[in-house]
Amino acid sequence: MLKLIIHKELREIIASPKFVASFAVTAILILLTFYVGAQNHRLNVSRYEAAKTANLRKMEGLTDWMRVNNHRIFLPPQPLESLVNGVSNDIGRTTTLHGRGELTAQSSRYNEDPLFAVFRFLDLDFVFQIVLSLFAILFAFDAINGEKERGTLRLTFANDVPRATYMLGKWIGAFLSVGVPLLIPILLGTLMLPLMGVTLSGAEWVRLALIVLAGLLYFGLFLTLALCFSVYTHRASNAFLGLLVTWILVVMIIPRSAVLLAGHAVDVPTVDALAFQKAQQRSQLWREDREKMRNFSTLGASDAEKVMQRFNAFMSELSDARQEKMDALASQLNSQRRLKQNAQARLALGLARLSPSAVFSLAASRLADTDLGMKSHYLDEATGYQSSYAGFMKEKTGMNMGSGMVIFTTGGDEEEEKAINPGELPVFDYTPTPLTEAINGAALDLGLLVIFNLLFFAGAFVRFMRYDVR
Amino acid sequence: MQMQANETTPIIEADNLTKRYEDGNLALDHVHFQVKPGEIFALLGANGAGKTTTINLFLNFIEPTDGEARIDGIATHRDPLAAKRKIAYVSENVMLYPHFTAFQNIDYFARIGGQTHYSDQDYHDVLRRVGLEDEAHGRKLKTFSKGMRQKCGIAIAILKNAPAILLDEPTSGLDPKAGHEFIDLLQSLRGEGKAILLSTHDIFRAKTIADEVGIMNKGMLVMKRSRAELANENLEKLYIDYMTGNGVHDGGNAHA
Repeated sequence: MLKLIIHKELREIIASPKFVASFAVTAILILLTFYVGAQNHRLNVSRYEAAKTANLRKMEGLTDWMRVNNHRIFLPPQPLESLVNGVSNDIGRTTTLHGRGELTAQSSRYNEDPLFAVFRFLDLDFVFQIVLSLFAILFAFDAINGEKERGTLRLTFANDVPRATYMLGKWIGAFLSVGVPLLIPILLGTLMLPLMGVTLSGAEWVRLALIVLAGLLYFGLFLTLALCFSVYTHRASNAFLGLLVTWILVVMIIPRSAVLLAGHAVDVPTVDALAFQKAQQRSQLWREDREKMRNFSTLGASDAEKVMQRFNAFMSELSDARQEKMDALASQLNSQRRLKQNAQARLALGLARLSPSAVFSLAASRLADTDLGMKSHYLDEATGYQSSYAGFMKEKTGMNMGSGMVIFTTGGDEEEEKAINPGELPVFDYTPTPLTEAINGAALDLGLLVIFNLLFFAGAFVRFMRYDVR
Repeated sequence: MQMQANETTPIIEADNLTKRYEDGNLALDHVHFQVKPGEIFALLGANGAGKTTTINLFLNFIEPTDGEARIDGIATHRDPLAAKRKIAYVSENVMLYPHFTAFQNIDYFARIGGQTHYSDQDYHDVLRRVGLEDEAHGRKLKTFSKGMRQKCGIAIAILKNAPAILLDEPTSGLDPKAGHEFIDLLQSLRGEGKAILLSTHDIFRAKTIADEVGIMNKGMLVMKRSRAELANENLEKLYIDYMTGNGVHDGGNAHA
């Protein structure tokens, strides 16, 4: 019986004109998403390579590592970023290293090309979150009440059809007839990636498969929600209206309201306020150090080179002490800000998770590594690199970076100075979050998608058991 | 499709059947009748008299407040699935899947009705039997007239091969020729031993075909006559008398 109902649903949906139209639109959108994503990725990779080369070229011709300043590292583009953008276009992708101190990320994609920020890029998040959820509504809003209005429900239940079987058959049939065909353009899109020169690692394929799974769960959820509405209303038009209002609430209003509410509930000090406090502290420390500098004594040394060495050592000491205090303050302020930011984010995301749309978006971006943690992960990686960079520079120059040293050169050296080799610099090897960590991070949201599905189905099921089929 | 039936056991049986809705409206008031194999029982009555409510109770679309609707001895509200296995049903306005062909529709509903053994030829045969031209078998239902849809509905009922057939105003909207063909078909089904409950407004057809006629008014079965009894009475007059309140309620057995 179940198979028969599923088969009927498949035939009925696939034979309908709305299936042909919506499948064509979705297939084009999905293929376009993969195409645009692959193109973007290639462009991002070439920009990234060009920026890296320019950074090293800047050092060409230098003969002293001490003259190397403003060394920059760049966040390498990941293929999945172009398929699920998340925050990847909003965060800075370039970091200038001074060998010590706080790091910041500058030059986001949208900052560089604000035109793209106006309408944003087409990605799988958009296709699933907006387009497919609407199609799910379109296919299931009249699943039950439509049959009632047409009179086929009465004829069906004049037979020994168990209601539970019918309900399940309806859901499975709708899911298979609309959800499974979606896999065709998705599969074609994934095949397009290597053909367009975008290679995915094994872990990235797993991530992509999980993103598609999350998308199907989200699609199924809207199908179930639509089924639920079709059982709780007796007219298909009422169900459609109710679903549209719910869609606006779930997709548009709840996630944005959650962020606004959390913003009001938890006050996070601004970066400017923190920068002001740090600048004040820095000025104060400079004032104190200037006094110390006035009292610098050469301790009887007359040799200019020795004087400079002592001065550099003195300055390095002052700089270290100053930096230590600055670091301590920065660390304290940053950690206070981060705590509040985390509390705000927890509240915002917690509230936003009332919306399945936000849940899907969070799961997809977590799996694609383009979630809120992307920036801090990049800066953590950059900070780790900064240590090895500082170590390298100390080895090359014998000095701590950023200590306000004086470069002393003596004339009359006959030996021709050799140019430094920028290739010796340690390479910034960005490691995305491990797959298991991404899966663990997305598990809550994947679980919530399953729970939403079950809840809506249970709601529809309970109601249908007492549904007046006349 | 010939069925083996116990001639003495009623297949369709309303036993003190009563339905009062939550708003207090008494839709059916202690109705009692039986339909045996090879019999046609016609329920006559105006709109709202309780004919469709009676059928809804047999289909367990609603549950009785009192009494029982039984199909082959099974109370429909106690074991609806078992009872429905023995019922074929044709509604006043047969609505099928518009994007399916007639063939696909009858195939689906035959299978839903538990009949999975039919061949394509059987489907074509039954569609011909109900008077649907061959060219229409492969056409989508959305192109069908009401009469053609009714024929499909009857084909579905035939394919189910159930001992009880419930017909709710099945000839409503049919042209005279189709109506006549339908009467022939009902007679043939009666010949196969089916117990048929026919709800209708059509006094003439009821008199022509029914073995027993009941008149319903305001939820009550106010009159019941066999074909033999009706041979000496004017059914039209009886109907009007009962509808206008001049007839005497005989609990389904008294005379006007």
